[in-house]
Parts: sequence; structure tokens; C-alpha cells
Amino acid sequence: MNKEIAIWQRKWEREKNARIQAEAILEDKAFELFEASELLKKNNEDLENTVEQRTKALKESQRRLETFISNLQYGILLEDENRRMMLTNKAFCSIFSIPVAPEALIGADCEAAVHEIKNLFVDADYFVSRIDQLLDKRALVLGDELYTTDGRILERNYVPIFYDDDYIGHCWQYRDVTQLRLAQEQIKLSEEKYRGVIENMELGILEVDNNGLIVRAYQRFCEMTGYNEAEIVGKNAADLLLTEQSKKTLEEQTDTRNKGEASNYEVQMLRKDGSLIWVVISGAPIFNTNKEITGSMGIHLNITQRKQMETELKEAKIIAENAQYAEKEFLANMSHEIRTPLNAIIGMAHLLYDTRPTKQQREYLDVLKNASNILHGLISDILDIAKIEAGKIEIQNKPFDLIGLVRTLQKTFQMRANEKELQVEAMIDARIDGLVIGDELLLNQILLNLLGNSLKFTETGHIGISTRLLKRQEGKVAIEFKVYDSGIGISSEKLPMIFQKFKQVDNNRQQQHRGTGLGLAIVKELIELQGGTIKAQSELGEGTSITFTLSYADGGNVELQTATNIPESVTNHVPLNQLNVLVVEDNEMNQRYVLGLLQKWKIPFDIAANGSEALALVQKKAYNLILMDLEMPIMDGYNATIAIRNTHNHNQRTPIIALTASALIDQKHKALGVGMNDFLTKPFAPTQLKQLLIKYAPNAIDNLNGEVEHTFKFNEQLDSSFLDIFYEDDMNHAHEMFDTFLNDVLPDFPILQNLFDAEKWEEVQKLAHKLKPTVAMVGLTWLEPLLLLIEQATRKHPVDNLPNIAQAIEKVNHDLQTYTPILQTEWQRLKDFCVIAT
Amino acid sequence: MKGIVFTEFLDLVEERFGYEMVDTIIEKSDLPSKGSYTAVGTYDHAEMMLLLGNLSHETSIPTNDLLRLYGNQLFDTLMGGYKKHLVNINSAFELLSAIESYIHVEVRKLYPDAELPYFETEILSPDQLRMVYSSERKMWAFGLGLMEGCFRHFNETAHITHTLLTEDGSSVEFIITRNL
Repeated sequence: MNKEIAIWQRKWEREKNARIQAEAILEDKAFELFEASELLKKNNEDLENTVEQRTKALKESQRRLETFISNLQYGILLEDENRRMMLTNKAFCSIFSIPVAPEALIGADCEAAVHEIKNLFVDADYFVSRIDQLLDKRALVLGDELYTTDGRILERNYVPIFYDDDYIGHCWQYRDVTQLRLAQEQIKLSEEKYRGVIENMELGILEVDNNGLIVRAYQRFCEMTGYNEAEIVGKNAADLLLTEQSKKTLEEQTDTRNKGEASNYEVQMLRKDGSLIWVVISGAPIFNTNKEITGSMGIHLNITQRKQMETELKEAKIIAENAQYAEKEFLANMSHEIRTPLNAIIGMAHLLYDTRPTKQQREYLDVLKNASNILHGLISDILDIAKIEAGKIEIQNKPFDLIGLVRTLQKTFQMRANEKELQVEAMIDARIDGLVIGDELLLNQILLNLLGNSLKFTETGHIGISTRLLKRQEGKVAIEFKVYDSGIGISSEKLPMIFQKFKQVDNNRQQQHRGTGLGLAIVKELIELQGGTIKAQSELGEGTSITFTLSYADGGNVELQTATNIPESVTNHVPLNQLNVLVVEDNEMNQRYVLGLLQKWKIPFDIAANGSEALALVQKKAYNLILMDLEMPIMDGYNATIAIRNTHNHNQRTPIIALTASALIDQKHKALGVGMNDFLTKPFAPTQLKQLLIKYAPNAIDNLNGEVEHTFKFNEQLDSSFLDIFYEDDMNHAHEMFDTFLNDVLPDFPILQNLFDAEKWEEVQKLAHKLKPTVAMVGLTWLEPLLLLIEQATRKHPVDNLPNIAQAIEKVNHDLQTYTPILQTEWQRLKDFCVIAT
Repeated sequence: MKGIVFTEFLDLVEERFGYEMVDTIIEKSDLPSKGSYTAVGTYDHAEMMLLLGNLSHETSIPTNDLLRLYGNQLFDTLMGGYKKHLVNINSAFELLSAIESYIHVEVRKLYPDAELPYFETEILSPDQLRMVYSSERKMWAFGLGLMEGCFRHFNETAHITHTLLTEDGSSVEFIITRNL
């Protein structure tokens, strides 16, 4: 019993435990279930959200599709397999003028509709039959073109629709291509037009592919080369048509074209008949629709004739240039060659003034001098223009006294104008002061030329020069120069010609007004070379004015140390050897004579052979006295004096003594008029020079007197009284004169006889003239009239005076033979005396 | 091992041998669960082996015979509980064919921790099946009992032969020939 109870008790225990286990498990399961349920709920919600989003997106996509279709440019008509309308759009309705909304057509019978709209088309039956045909075949057909009765062109695509091989309908796409076709037509016409134009313009067109093989040759090209198109298509253009040289040119061009650039080049081409032609090729790449180069097109123009002409022209040009160069060379050489003897003429003419010519001889000399000066001017013009054209003019940049230059010119021209009773004016802008930096010589040349013209063409009234300061800034001064006159003027038609080369305004006046016609051309060139401008104003009979502007660097107010700052009295106190004398003299004999005296008196001196040299010297040094010959080549004493007196230099107030061979009063007036202080007539005696030195530097001369003693006695057989006066106490000088005479002059006398024997009268005359002044200097004064006789007789009527001349020559030579030993003795005596004296 | 296998087993022992036998084998087996089983619980397979071993000892019936008997008995109980899940199954062959492809799939869904044997099923002819049992539990006899219960359930009869493919009985081939 107890056992049974124990069993039951255990069973009860076991079942109770099982129940507790089951409950716990169930609770766990319930909890798991709850969680699973929650998860499921959440999944469900997520799923719903996703579904919602997907639905929305789908709707959006559908809406877009519908909008897209309804707004398509294509008219869309979608039919099912039973030809019921499923979808259409606005464009479709618009193309077929259907007055309802596209949605309203859904479900309509398309077969019936075809018949309703068929009459819109030009060929209504074709429209219907074509649709039937397309529907029958169910194959994609694109680009059918249909013509409507109202002139439109419609393009239609037929697209059958299959689903898993089952035919489920089809889509029609219509498009109005009227404008497109018109434009295409237009392009086609235009292309044909231009092709025609090019073909008619004798331009040969050739198309090649990227390998250079000919793709197409147009008619003109074929005519040009002598081939027909069929012969050359497919062949290599370069191999067939080009010479070896041309191929190289082509290769160079190929690079350019490979970059897609068009290019032009000239090559020689081989025709079918073997002849060569020159063509210019304009090549351009040909692109396909993908912008890739598929080949190139060359337009060929036959330029064979032009090339020929070009070559001929080149040759002609070279010949012409050579000829022109040769001409210029010739001109320049000749000018130079002419100038050399001309200088001798001018020099000699001036020396002749020193030979105490008669009034008539002086007049002849004046003519000779003027003529040779004119000739010199002409030659200089030609040389100048040659230099300008060769670019050989160098512009100097040195400080110079511009106002002085203008004043000098005014004075110079006033002097030259006196015979015409012309007034020469100079107006100077007071704002221009001090020095400017530039080319003085060029400005002088310009103004000389212009004033010279004015003087030449003006008989009464005035000529003048004015200067005006235009602007002064940044160290530069711009000056306007005006040269004007009251002369004959120039007519307005001729005015533009005046600056041209070799043009003279009035051919009729050439007799009266000579010149090269280069003057103004040179002036213009010279002004433009310096960066200036020139213009002319004139009226016939009313005078002319020429205005030009030049710009100079401002040279500031650098004052030269001038003689004006040295009071005249200073010269009174300076020691003798600190005096300074400038001798301006072209005659060598006279030079030696004066220099001999000055050396003897121990007075320092400088020598200038002409006015121009003198001007250079007066810029460098202050002199106490200037001895100035009047007649000299290059620049005479008058002009030199004007320049010294009117420009900034050290000698503006230095006394200037004219040395003249003439005793003419008007010449002396003229000398004093240009600013000279006194004059000395050649030949002069030492005392005469001494008197002048005493007058202008008395202290110095006093010293002289004390120093030198006159003890030399000339041989009485010579004209000793003349010699005493002539050399006074300067035996050094006398010795030199005797030396010169014995060595240089004496050998010339026998020539007189030779020339006379050869009847060279002119040369006899010249020689006699040259020898005449020398005899007095060695005391043979009585020979002077004989030489004068020879000179005059041979000039006038040599044949009538032959006996007289012969007699005179004989006498001269005889006396010389007789007196030569005496002269030699005197020379030795003078030499000995001088050695002792020093 | 699912609790229902224990509860049904102990019910069968009680029905056949009385609760005293049940108590005896539980008491003899030193069980972690102390013999308290609920159908919804899960217990160590070793407990079943202990209970079976002790029952065999007490009754002098071989273990495999007990398992075969138990399988035969259990089938009805299982069918009673799960028939609603087997709506399209109308014959024993259909059910046997569905063991691996359907029933075990569903069991794993309900009891992810269940350790199920594997059946390789081959239809040799419309009336003959070849099934190969594979399990480390070596309870092929339990399977055979279930097969017999199955045929009985569908009022069918069949001839079932079995061949041990391994000595320990972890792999056993069944040839099932149904009688028409």
C-alpha cells in the first residue's frame, strides 16, 4: 500500500513538474510569439511603405511617360491588335486637325478613322492602301513620306509591337517635316549654286581620301590637268600630278591639314601631256559627321601666267634697281669729281682778290665767284640728296646757340640783300634762350636754303625768319620756324609740288632762277629726319611762307666764357706772350708774312684757312685780335664776322681787322657794316700791322718796340726803301720770303717763256698774274709792271702785242738772271742776321 | 528529443505494463529530468536510451522490438495531432515520399533545435520504395515502426525489408513493397 502511495506520489510529482515545465515553455513561446508578431507587424508596415513608395514612383513614371508622349513632336497613335485606339497625343490631333482631346479618342475604331482623314492627302488611295500593306506585313517601316493637300510633307514611321512573339498592336508616328525638307532643299540648291560658281570660276576641285587617293575630280580640274575623271579616280594624286619638288611642299602642308587647318600653297603640277603648270592650292580637310577627317579637298587655280609674269617682274626689278643704283653711284661719284676741281676754282678765285685787281677785274672775279658758288651749291644738293637717300646723314646732338644762328643768318642775308633794297627781318621769341641740343649744321642748311629761296624769288619788300616756342616740357623745346617773303609766290596748283625732287615750279622762270630743284626736297628730308614737319603756304604774287617745327633738347643756360666778359682794357695789361691773335687767311704767302711778324713779336697765334675754320676756333678760345681776310673759299670774312658777332662764343666782342687787297670804299663799308672794327690793305708793311696792334692792344706793342732793333740794311741794288717799309724790322720774315721766292717761285719764271713759245696765252696770263705780287717782296719792284703788262696783253689781244710781251718776258728773265746772285746773297745775310738776332 | 516522444512512450508503457513499470524504469534510470516530461519540452536523447534500456531489461523484450512497437503506436498519435498539415497526403507512399521533402522541412520550422534523421527516398516502381535511414541515434527500428503505423493508418498493407548498411545501425536500407 505504501509502495502504491509512493508511486502515485511520484507520479503526481512528475506531472506537477511536467506542468510547471510546460507552463514555463508556453510562457517563453508566448513571449517569442509576441516578439515574432511585433516583428511581423513591423515588416508588414515596412512592406506597406515600400509598396506605397513604389506605387507613387510608378504613378510618377507613368505620368512622365504620358506627358512625354503627349508633348512629343511626333504624332503618336497606338493601336491594339484589333485596331482600337489605345493612346494618342496632342501632336497627332494637331497634325490631322482633330478638334478633340487625345483622351477622347481612346477606344475609337482606327480603320474607320483612316477613311475619314484620307482626303487630307494628295493621294488618298495610296494613303489607305499603304496602311493596309504595312499592317499586312507587320514589319518596321521608317520614313514614309506623305504629301497633304494643303502643301505639308509628313514623315511616318510604322512600328509593330510584339509581346513574346505575339502581335499585340502597333504604333504610328507622324511628323511634319515640311520646314526640314524645305531647308534641306535650300541647302541642296545652295550647294549646287556654289559648286556651279566655283566650277565656272576656273577653280579645279579635287577630293582625296586620307591616303591621298583621288575620290573625285571635278570638270574644271580635269580640264586643267588634261585627264578625265575616270582616268584618275583611285590613283594617288601626288604621284600622278606633282613634281618631286612639289611633293616636298605638299608633305609640309600635310601636317597643317592633319591638324584640321586649311592652308594655301603654290606648287608645280604635271599635266597629262607632260607639260608643267603652276597652281595655287587651297586645301581644306573634309570631316564626316563624327568630326573625323576623312580626306581633303583642294581647290586649284592655274597661276602659270602669273608666275611667269612674276619672274619677269622680279628680273625687271633687279635690272631697274641695279640701274638706279648705278645711276646714283655715278651721280655721287661725278658730284665728288666735279667738286674737287671746283674747289680749286673757288679757292683760286678768292686768292685772286689778293692780287690787287682793278675794278673791272674785281667785277669779273665777282662773277666767277658767284658762278662757282652756284655750281658748288648745285653739286652739294645732289650729294646731299644722295646721302639722304642712302641714309648716310648722321644727326649730331651738340649744344648750339639757336638764336645766334638765326641772327647770323639775318645779318648774312641782309648783307646779300642790300643790292636789292630788301629788308631782312628776324623775329625771335624771347622765351627761347640759352642753348639747345641738336644738329646746328642741319638747321643752318635748312634755313640757308629757305632764305636763299626767298631771296631768289623776292625783288622788293621783305624776307624774314621768325621763331616761336611751341612748348617746353620734360627737357624738350619744340620750336616753330617760319621763313617768309613778299616775293612772287606760288599758285595753289603748283604748291603741292614744291617739296618734290627735281621739280621746279615754273619752267619759264628757269632762266632767271636756276637750281637743281632739289633744295626744298632736301629741306623736307632733313626736317623729317629730325622728326619735324614742314608745310608751305603761298599765293601767287603775295609771297610765300614756309613753316616747320623741330624739337630740341633743352641745353640750358650754359654761358660760354665769352670775350664780352673780358673788358678791352684787360688786353692792355696782359703780357705780350699771353696775347692771342687769330689769323684767318687763305693765301699762303700772306699767311707766312703775317705769321712771320707775329712770331718775331712773340705773339701767340692761331691760323684758320677760311671763315668756317675760324668759327670753330672762336668757340674754343678768346682772342685779343682777329685778322680776317675778306675773300675766302667755303666761308668768307663777312659771313665769318657776322657769325662771330651774333652767336654765343668767346669772341663776340673781339676786335676784327679786315685784311683786304682792295682799297674800294664800298668794300670797307661792307666790312664795317657786318661788325668788323678796322681794315688793313694788302700788302701792308709791318708798321701798319703794328699800328693796329697798338690801337687795339697798345701795351703789348709798346713792349715790342723796346725789344726789337732794326739794323739790317738791304742791298741798294734792290728796292731797299720798299723792303725797309715792307719788312720793317722783321728780318725773320724777310728771310722766309726770300727763301720762298728762291725755292718755290723762281723756277716758275722760265715756264713763262715756254708757254709763250707754245702760244698758250691763257696760261701765260695766269702765270704772270700769279708771279706778279711776288717780285716786290724781294725788292724787284720794277718787274711788277712788266708782269702786269704780260698779264693784260695776253688776256686782251695777245697776237697784236706779241713783240711787247716777248720783250717783257725777256726783260723779266734777264733781270732775274742778273739779280738771282744778289737775292741769294741777301738770303744768306738775312739768315745770318736772324741767327744773331735770336 | 521532443517531449512528446517521452510522454507518448511513457503513456504506452503505462498502458501496456501499468504505471508501476513506468515508475520502475524512471527510478532505475538516473534522469536529469527526474522523469517529468511535457510534450512541448525538449530532453536529452540519452534519457530515452536509458528508459528503453531499463524497460527492455524489466520486460526482457529487445530494445529494437520495443522501438518498433512504440513507432507503430506513436504514428496514430502524431497523425492525430498534425493531420491538418498533411491535407494532400492520401496514401502511405505519398507520406513516406514527403518525409524528407516536406515533413522534416516543416518540423525544422517549428523546432529549429530538432535533430532529425535523414531519409534518402527512391521510387523504384509505382509500388516499391527504397528508403535509406541515416542517423547517429541508430533508431532505425523506431522508423520501421512508424512506417508500419503509417500503412495501418491508411488501411494499407506492405512488405518491408530492412538491411543494415552499417553494423551499428546508423545507416539502414528499407525496401518497401506495398500490397494492392
